[in-house]
Amino acid sequence: MRFIARKPRDGINVSDTHPLAEAGLLVVGLSAIFLALVVAVIFFVELALYLVPADTEARLFRNWLPADLVTVAPDDERLYQAQLLLDRLAAHWADAPYDFTVEIDQSEVANAMAMPGGLIVLTSGLLDQVETENELAFVLGHELGHFRNRDHLRALGRVGALSILLATVAGKDSSRLSLTITDLTLRGFSRKQETRADEFGLAVVYAEYGHVGEAWRLFERWDEVDSGTLEVASYFSTHPQTADRIDDLGLLARREHWQLDGQVTPLPWLD
Amino acid sequence: MTISTPPSIEISNTETIPGRRIVEFYGVVTGNTVRAKHLGKDILAGLKNIVGGELKAYTELLQDSRNEATQRMIEEARSMGANAVVNVRFATSSISQGAAELFAYGTAVRVE
Amino acid sequence: MGQNFELLVNFGLPLILIVVAYFVGSLLEKRHYQSIRAREAEYFGFPVVTFDTMPEDWRVSSSNLVDGSVVVSLDYFKRIIAGLRAIVGGRIRTYEPLLDRARREAVLRMIESARRQGYDAVFNVRLDTSRLANARGNGEGTAGVEMLAYGTAVKFASLVR
Repeated sequence: MRFIARKPRDGINVSDTHPLAEAGLLVVGLSAIFLALVVAVIFFVELALYLVPADTEARLFRNWLPADLVTVAPDDERLYQAQLLLDRLAAHWADAPYDFTVEIDQSEVANAMAMPGGLIVLTSGLLDQVETENELAFVLGHELGHFRNRDHLRALGRVGALSILLATVAGKDSSRLSLTITDLTLRGFSRKQETRADEFGLAVVYAEYGHVGEAWRLFERWDEVDSGTLEVASYFSTHPQTADRIDDLGLLARREHWQLDGQVTPLPWLD
Repeated sequence: MTISTPPSIEISNTETIPGRRIVEFYGVVTGNTVRAKHLGKDILAGLKNIVGGELKAYTELLQDSRNEATQRMIEEARSMGANAVVNVRFATSSISQGAAELFAYGTAVRVE
Repeated sequence: MGQNFELLVNFGLPLILIVVAYFVGSLLEKRHYQSIRAREAEYFGFPVVTFDTMPEDWRVSSSNLVDGSVVVSLDYFKRIIAGLRAIVGGRIRTYEPLLDRARREAVLRMIESARRQGYDAVFNVRLDTSRLANARGNGEGTAGVEMLAYGTAVKFASLVR
């Protein structure tokens, strides 16, 4: 047999798709799938909320406490007074399905959270910053509003389901990126929830005190402070811009004809 | 290089095509491919790892890759004017998670 | 503010890396292909075959094992694309030029080694790929891909082939 030098045609082992074209197609395609997943998650969470009514939730989560809370002792004066205040406010919500309880988390960052089962967690940082009982009442009333709309479960359900899906798809590598995507996607929804919780909270304050004076003074103080301060930073991440919020509250009070002046109640644990 | 392309290419992993004689040989031809299986089948394979047995999804993946690599090798041979590829060998390796690279290579020859 | 900066770092940094990887990677790839084609043209006519016995009319005076190898790394852009591709499945087109280049480079280096030692042909050529894992992170992830070509180089006793 004879050797004849020949070479094959170039490029048989290489596809002629431009890498950017392939990249573009993959990114667009996967984004579309991701959006479809988000819609599906939201739908199924709503379905789950419909199927699990509030009293079932209250029964399931009775006495439940998140493990990573650092709570203050049960005989703490502020905790005791906060619970009394909460009971008075909750009384205005006829047939509330939960037995509301309050716990204080030892943390300098001011925050308030609604937890499954009727638990409201306040941070000691928040309690350090409120100056009147009216302010604290509005914060508690706002959280009661979240329970009314079942926002706490909705947020947990959506973030939880989406995180699990992304973790399955992306694997161990892109957990940070997927968290950011999840955060961004769901951040838009919580603004409306916050506004509705504000409306409920203000109504509860009016029912308790007969006026809404000083109810949102806490936020006005925060608005005056530079928002880069660490203490207020976490609160800002999911709540509407403070200035807009203050305006909306003022509008709400005017619309409902709730007076802004009246006797302000001092904090029960002072002096 | 204008060479008329023969109708079909025979391949074998022996010295020569059985029953035929090599008259000319041209050089090494290779076919290369790298593929990933899609996520759903990947997850199913992961579950199958628990019970053991054939991972059908991966078998399919490698089968498809082998066929494609072989096709490309034949294509290279055809473009050289060969009508057979002998001493064919395969090599597999995994490049990254879930993706397998496979290549086939042999010598392009003309037999009669 | 704080959260905007966090967004910038989480999205902006990888994006910049991807863009840099793509452009620099494409440039390096083009250059490498030019070098490969030039050398393939230069060595055109050097017999390289996978037969495991020599053709009968080859009279050889000496032989030796020769090999050529190269390690290529998967650039960041390609890894991201491959990761996305692993979700939907199919051919990872961005890896193909990489593997093609690696293979041709390994064969060329084998030929160069044979020529440098004065041989005239290589037979029983075999090709092998292996994946190099990252040294850190308990061996996960791919640091690079090694392509190896090896065979028996022979020197012809007379010029009659």
